[in-house]
Amino acid sequence: MKTSAVFSTFLSLLSLASAASSARDSSTSTTLPATFKPPQVFKNLNLVHVISAEKNYLKESINVLIENIDKAPQDEYFLPFTADQMSRLGGVEVKDRKDATAGLFVAEPVEFDQESDIQYLRIRLPKPLAPGAQQTLGINYYLLKAYSPLPVAIKQEEQQYLTFTFSAYCPSAYTTTKQKTDVKFPSSNIPDYTKLPGSGDIQEFPQKQGSKLTYGPFDEKPAGAVEPVRVRFEFNKPVNHVSRLERDIEVSHWGGNVAFEERYTLYHRGANLSSLFNRVKWQQSQYYQPTTFALKEIKFPLRVGSVDAYYYDVIGNVSTSRFRSNKREALLEIKPRYPVFGGWKYPFTIGWNSDAKNFLRNTATGGFVLNVPFLEGPRQLEGVEYEQVEVRVILPEGAENVKYHTSIPTSSITEAGVQIHKTFLDTIGRTALVIKARNLVDDFRDRELIVSYDYPFMASFRKPLVVFGSAIAVFMSVWAVGNVKLDFETKK
Amino acid sequence: MSADPLHALASAGKAKSTRSVLRVVILALIAGAAIASRLFSVIRFESIIHEFDPWFNFRATKYLVAHGFYKFWDWFDDRTWHPLGRVTGGTLYPGLMVTSGVIYHALRALTIPVDIRNICVLLAPGFSGLTAIAAYLLTNEMTTSNSAGLLAAAFMGIAPGYISRSVAGSYDNEAIAIFLLVFTFYLWIKALKQGSMLWGALCALFYGYMVASWGGYAFITCLLPLHAFVLICMGRYSTRLYVSYTTWYALGTLASMQIPFVGFLPVKTSEHMPALGIFGFLQLLAFLDYVRSAIPSRQFQTFLWVFAGGSFGLGLAALAIATSAGFIAPWSGRFYSLWDTGYAKIHIPIIASVSEHQPTAWPAFFFDLNMLIWLFPVGVYLCFQELADQHVFIVVYALFGSYFAGVMVRLMLTLTPVVCVAAAIAVSTLLDIYLTAKSPKPVEGQPADGGDGAAKKAVKSGLKSTSKPLIGVYGLYSKVAIVGALTVYLLLFVLHCTWVTSNAYSSPSVVLASRLPDGSQHIIDDYREAYQWLRQNTREDAKIMSWWDYGYQIGGMADRPTLVDNNTWNNTHIATVGKAMSSREEVSYPIMRQHEVDYVLVVFGGLLGYSGDDINKFLWMVRIAEGIWPDEVSERAFFTPRGEYRVDGDATETMKNSLMYKMSYYNYNKLFPPGQAMDRMRGVRLPEVGPSLSTIEEAFTSENWIIRIYKVKDLDNLGRDHASAAAFDRGHKKKKATKKRGPRLLRVD
Repeated sequence: MKTSAVFSTFLSLLSLASAASSARDSSTSTTLPATFKPPQVFKNLNLVHVISAEKNYLKESINVLIENIDKAPQDEYFLPFTADQMSRLGGVEVKDRKDATAGLFVAEPVEFDQESDIQYLRIRLPKPLAPGAQQTLGINYYLLKAYSPLPVAIKQEEQQYLTFTFSAYCPSAYTTTKQKTDVKFPSSNIPDYTKLPGSGDIQEFPQKQGSKLTYGPFDEKPAGAVEPVRVRFEFNKPVNHVSRLERDIEVSHWGGNVAFEERYTLYHRGANLSSLFNRVKWQQSQYYQPTTFALKEIKFPLRVGSVDAYYYDVIGNVSTSRFRSNKREALLEIKPRYPVFGGWKYPFTIGWNSDAKNFLRNTATGGFVLNVPFLEGPRQLEGVEYEQVEVRVILPEGAENVKYHTSIPTSSITEAGVQIHKTFLDTIGRTALVIKARNLVDDFRDRELIVSYDYPFMASFRKPLVVFGSAIAVFMSVWAVGNVKLDFETKK
Repeated sequence: MSADPLHALASAGKAKSTRSVLRVVILALIAGAAIASRLFSVIRFESIIHEFDPWFNFRATKYLVAHGFYKFWDWFDDRTWHPLGRVTGGTLYPGLMVTSGVIYHALRALTIPVDIRNICVLLAPGFSGLTAIAAYLLTNEMTTSNSAGLLAAAFMGIAPGYISRSVAGSYDNEAIAIFLLVFTFYLWIKALKQGSMLWGALCALFYGYMVASWGGYAFITCLLPLHAFVLICMGRYSTRLYVSYTTWYALGTLASMQIPFVGFLPVKTSEHMPALGIFGFLQLLAFLDYVRSAIPSRQFQTFLWVFAGGSFGLGLAALAIATSAGFIAPWSGRFYSLWDTGYAKIHIPIIASVSEHQPTAWPAFFFDLNMLIWLFPVGVYLCFQELADQHVFIVVYALFGSYFAGVMVRLMLTLTPVVCVAAAIAVSTLLDIYLTAKSPKPVEGQPADGGDGAAKKAVKSGLKSTSKPLIGVYGLYSKVAIVGALTVYLLLFVLHCTWVTSNAYSSPSVVLASRLPDGSQHIIDDYREAYQWLRQNTREDAKIMSWWDYGYQIGGMADRPTLVDNNTWNNTHIATVGKAMSSREEVSYPIMRQHEVDYVLVVFGGLLGYSGDDINKFLWMVRIAEGIWPDEVSERAFFTPRGEYRVDGDATETMKNSLMYKMSYYNYNKLFPPGQAMDRMRGVRLPEVGPSLSTIEEAFTSENWIIRIYKVKDLDNLGRDHASAAAFDRGHKKKKATKKRGPRLLRVD
């Protein structure tokens, strides 16, 4: 079968992944001296910086043509970020624009001086770039918590405007010959943006085309040149921010079931209400003007075959949810108990079950391979960002030799390890693979997580035997106690 | 006879082991039925804690589970009764929480991951299964008939009078207390019958558990001495009574004093004095018994009268003196209201405002006990027939239980066990009489034989009465008729119980259910919507003012400090809230500021026609406030001159200006076309111009307007009073001081 072929290739990848992870651990521990400056060995010949503010996180992509101006071959390209940006940076993926087969490059933050405001991301080119040679890098990354509302507080029927600051010149550690910056917005309503004097035949930057602003092209700028630009744009949608997502995936071989449970801590980072919530206005606006910046509904398109969805929060079941599950889709639509406005919080829990055969395969060698989505958060028009994600794959009791591979950018994964999780009459506890990641967005919601493990045949009989044995022991001891004669025998 | 299958059945049940297996199976089934019939609300809604008080018990249990027993014991809760706080560990009955905690930890030790909430929700049904078994044991002590015990267990399992307080989710002290009550009585009877110290000690142990669980333990504390006293009066003093009573009293009192909330009450309050008195009396009797065996009977007579009379008089005098001197607390108000049902309404409106403290209406007996209520006297009568010591107990219990159940609705609960036991005795006696397949053998020499005349003569020559010594019902038709009727009654009883449980006692009252036009269920979840909003979107120490009914729920679901809650220990504090609710804004605002109130929560049923709202409870707030501040709050001012309680355009000015009225109807008229605003609960049209608020502002209103939350405004930035600040914001001209200006003067400092 085709799927099994795919799985076996993944298996071979898995061993690579585990090897790579150990190698990465050793590399990140090497800290550079505090006085570190990236060596000026590259030159950016042409750079296009695309900033997309269409969703409630910033998606940036830098396409840059670099040239080695040093005498020796070079394989380390540095990208500068401010310390604040570094903490909000996530989902970094670097690839060669010209060569799709080269795969993803290793990109990781460089630890040198915690106090310094400039931090670097180090991109390792798979092949050292020969002197004078050129390469086109496509760098994609996301910035979370990117906006702040302006005005900070608005009325509940007003439009929400967000603002953020960036540099019109793409921050770079190298001299850039030619560059431009495109900024995309969700709508053409962009009331304020910083204007810069133009160059060449353009009178004034930026140029506005519909919902897009273009700064540039600029001529040569030295390394580290910045030109702060501030934009303010309409974003009449909720600014969803999940500060923590805990996702449990529990595999049961006996039940033939994979159970999912996700616990969200959801915030709305948009504008606060200037006057408190008014139910009359809210009910009226439901009819007259349905678009609002409040979060009214969250939709989770689950994998086909998901059943038994549930939705509750800290004080019990929430009845305002709908779950449609059929052959084509499994859509869970939930409504928060109250419309979530800016500055409000709404933590909740959802969960569902699915047949194990949708996710679990046997391998030829007798092991098992589990292929589940790493993230299955909501699919919202306005996007969702995740600050902390903890995925826990709970394997059956006695599972061993656990390996994993995920297509989530490796720089986003902060921690991974195998723990023991005890539940439901376990004796030695279940093997749980815990993967912690940070700064993810809903663009990654279909990236997969592949876990391979061995599950000895006898391990599956541990629990029935233990339960049976202890029940027998209880009966035997009751019988033994019942046979003890406490009273003195009266002689007849 | 024609009952061959019956014979077969009876003979199958004759072997001892078969019978006991059958009995165990039947008991297990009864316990299962008792549990299952209490799960309506879980199946219909969800596993949720019901009503009001259980939310506190749930919160306390969570605290116990999270912080351990000793922290729980020392728990000072600063999130209730702001700013006073509550010494929770010392003012609650910990039995319920500790029981759940023990179950929780036991399951955890077996690595069964059960949510503490589910344990709390299912505790009451679980214990009701045990209650059924306890009722079986108790009844078996009363009668030799085996079926009586099983019937009593079945009755106990499904009687609505008990179900009302033990459905899944009603996590209240009564959930375990009724089991303990019945089981303690069983142990008492056992101890009394055998004169056994072991059973007496067990009785004391369970009595201690009962004291730790429910304030209703006083019922046992009074009933056992009363039983003993009646036995003594009947001249049935025996060493068995002496041993069992003194064992129970000594150990039980010590056990009860271990509970901080009870402490020294057993030796200090009047409610506990009968037990102490009987204890002393028994000592005297034992002494007299000894003396009687030692001295001649003539001298003994005089000795007896002098000694007994003297000591009784002395004891009574000592009690009176100790009471008046304050060593022994006099009867509490709640206790007086047991004797005079009108007492509470006049003196302590807070007790009268609770619906379960009202006197019972007659239909309630039939509603809660159905056919048991008319079988009950029969059972008591049958007890009179035998009148051994244990039957006296049933008689005494029946009398007292009936009285108290008539006085207070909630005490129906204590009556239910004895009703079940007595009714089971009655039914089983009936069944035993009418179900015996046996008929007496026709006496030899009956005319039917047609034997020889001499023998016939010899028989006939005796007295008629001696010739027919066998009395009984042997006709097949009468048997079938009676048994059939009883069966129908029993089946109807089951139907009634199921119906009552399903319709009357299985609503969580936190969640309301309605039907959509297509017949599907629609959940109205306004309470939790608002509580969740409070929990997530207000400061963690934001103080919430609401009427005391919602205090426990706010503490449990919204996790916010409250001013008053359902533990109504401080009448003045409640009256303060009542005053704030029933006064004008200008009066209420300083009160709220002084109590650091951040939010005010009211329940409003006008949109949905929800009857349990604050406007309907409002008069109690007024009455309780009037009890403390008769000069400032007057109930009369809330009634129209014609004596009506109105909320529409004809409402009195006091009513319209009261904070409660304003908060309930603020902005409500904007939901309707002009002049069309309707209060669907009270079915009246509201004035076109709604009330305006100046010192508080609307913060949240739930989807169906059941919960409305207001934020108390901070002091005005410009130092104006709120009324003029609000008027300014509305665009009204500031009222010029009407005082005429005098001639301008040069200011000389």
